Amino acid sequence: MDPGTGRIVLRKHGSEATFSELSYVYPLKLLSPRLSPQNANAVYVLTYGGGLVGGDRVELSVVVDAGAALVMLTQGSTKVFKNRPGHRLSARSQGTLSDAVTTQSLEVSVAREGALFLLPDPVTCFRSAAYNQVQIFRIDTSASLVLLDWVTSGRKSLGEEWAFSRYYSMNEVWICDRPLAKDVRKAKDARKEKDVRLVKDVMLLEEQEPVHSLPLRTLADSLAPYSCYATLIMCGPLVQSTLRSLSTEYAQVTVFKHASPPDLLWSFSVIGDGTACVVRVAGTETETVKDWLGERLAPFEGAMGPDLYHRAFG
Amino acid sequence: MDSDTEAYLLLLLSDSNLPTGSFVASAGLESYVTHGFYSSPTPSTPRDKMDATMDFLQDSLRSYARSALPFVSDTHDVIRKLLADSRDASLDSVLEAVTALDDLYESMTLNHVARRASKSQGVALLTLYSKGFSKPSTRRQRQAQVIMSHPADDELSWETYAGAFVEKLKLRIRQEKTHGHLPICWGVLTACLGLSLERSQFLHLFLHARSLLSASIRLNTIGPYAAQQLLLHTVKPLVEAEALKSKTLRTGIAGGDWRHPIDEVHHGPAVTWPLGEILAARHDLQHSRIFNS
Repeated sequence: MDPGTGRIVLRKHGSEATFSELSYVYPLKLLSPRLSPQNANAVYVLTYGGGLVGGDRVELSVVVDAGAALVMLTQGSTKVFKNRPGHRLSARSQGTLSDAVTTQSLEVSVAREGALFLLPDPVTCFRSAAYNQVQIFRIDTSASLVLLDWVTSGRKSLGEEWAFSRYYSMNEVWICDRPLAKDVRKAKDARKEKDVRLVKDVMLLEEQEPVHSLPLRTLADSLAPYSCYATLIMCGPLVQSTLRSLSTEYAQVTVFKHASPPDLLWSFSVIGDGTACVVRVAGTETETVKDWLGERLAPFEGAMGPDLYHRAFG
Repeated sequence: MDSDTEAYLLLLLSDSNLPTGSFVASAGLESYVTHGFYSSPTPSTPRDKMDATMDFLQDSLRSYARSALPFVSDTHDVIRKLLADSRDASLDSVLEAVTALDDLYESMTLNHVARRASKSQGVALLTLYSKGFSKPSTRRQRQAQVIMSHPADDELSWETYAGAFVEKLKLRIRQEKTHGHLPICWGVLTACLGLSLERSQFLHLFLHARSLLSASIRLNTIGPYAAQQLLLHTVKPLVEAEALKSKTLRTGIAGGDWRHPIDEVHHGPAVTWPLGEILAARHDLQHSRIFNS
């Protein structure tokens, strides 16, 4: 296996799901915590040294078998450095300028009645860091997905406010009406026709080049006063009651004229045939956004298990 | 197309009286104002409204250019190929390609208010083409056509073909087999009229900027003279910069996939202003509002 690659396969045998594969290569590290039986299976996606540097590539493939539920977490935010502090440049990051980009890619397939809860901490890109994240999900029509993808403005304590050079994040969700191939790579070749693209969420945050004769408008200017942006995509039978309660809550909001921007803003949009949604949240503090999400996603404590829910939002 | 004809077309297309539905769209500006973004961080010095308008316009235009222009370009390319070589390309295969672009735009436009506005403006453009830009059919012309036995010169077959395509696309939208999003329909309209891709891209961004300024006047945040000043001196460099930056962006699904996955990361469509997305999606929550988006 190549550096930074990993593979998770969660199979269901009878009433119990077990990892038939959990492999990884430096700098990626996967850990499955021991949990009490009322919890779903979980994996922590970690990196050595607690962060990624320019040139690092992480490629993770995940297969969730029929009827199994997987929770994916991180331990603290994913920190993206331009260079690893105190380390000499690794052989891989000494190449050309384009090699200095950090890339994380994730390919997931979830079979019928399976579920994936992807609830990482936010990505934090440090000054001048460049980061690309590409996540592709193939979900059976009867499977469920809760996908959280969020980013913070940097190390506020050091005065960093959206001071990275580039942050690119793509989340593509396909709904597949056919038995998924056991192998993600085969599934990719077999796709077409019957697969429906539910969502392609692409966000690009980068410092703008100055426009001739206009005052420079920085990325921080555009995103102020918020220092954390989150996108939550949900689909499948397990999310329907949460989707309905969010929809009801949203419909009850009435906005009167604000004197200044509120500390937290959120939006809710139904997508596809109405059984999926996209929620976006912006907050002046990451904790505000986390608390807001934790409260809204509390109903998933049942499906995830109490320990995992508290690890994600505690 | 000679430059005089192109200039004449530009005059027609930039007429603010065209029934394109843009006069009820503020692309999130009304919500931006309501949510307090025109206020100053320091209440003692009130924020200049022209500055606030330009800030919104800049962020909005950048995100729109990056997310929508690849769709304008790919649609324009697909239609131009059809019209240039109408004997080989089949109308249905082009219809499939345009529908695929429309589907992709739908799955990438994740706020319901923007989706709604984009569809109504898109369909209005197709109606404009078939009702407003087709050749008028007066009794005298119909008689003249009967006398001319072979009217099948190049121009006529081009127009017939383009007209047939637009009718088929409109039918698909009516049958709810596709969506009819604004950037797709703009690409169709401008390619059917024979406008070059570069002109089409530039005009699309200019019209986005100008309709934001018109919305600003209706919201009474700036006056009509101020809007004109901005249009001449500030919008021009902005639109030029964005058009230049976005002209080579593509969706990756028309005319072959990306050669390398990394191409999409660098040259594909993307939203660049998440704050604008949230504010636009909150449009309907406003207690009082004058726009539809």
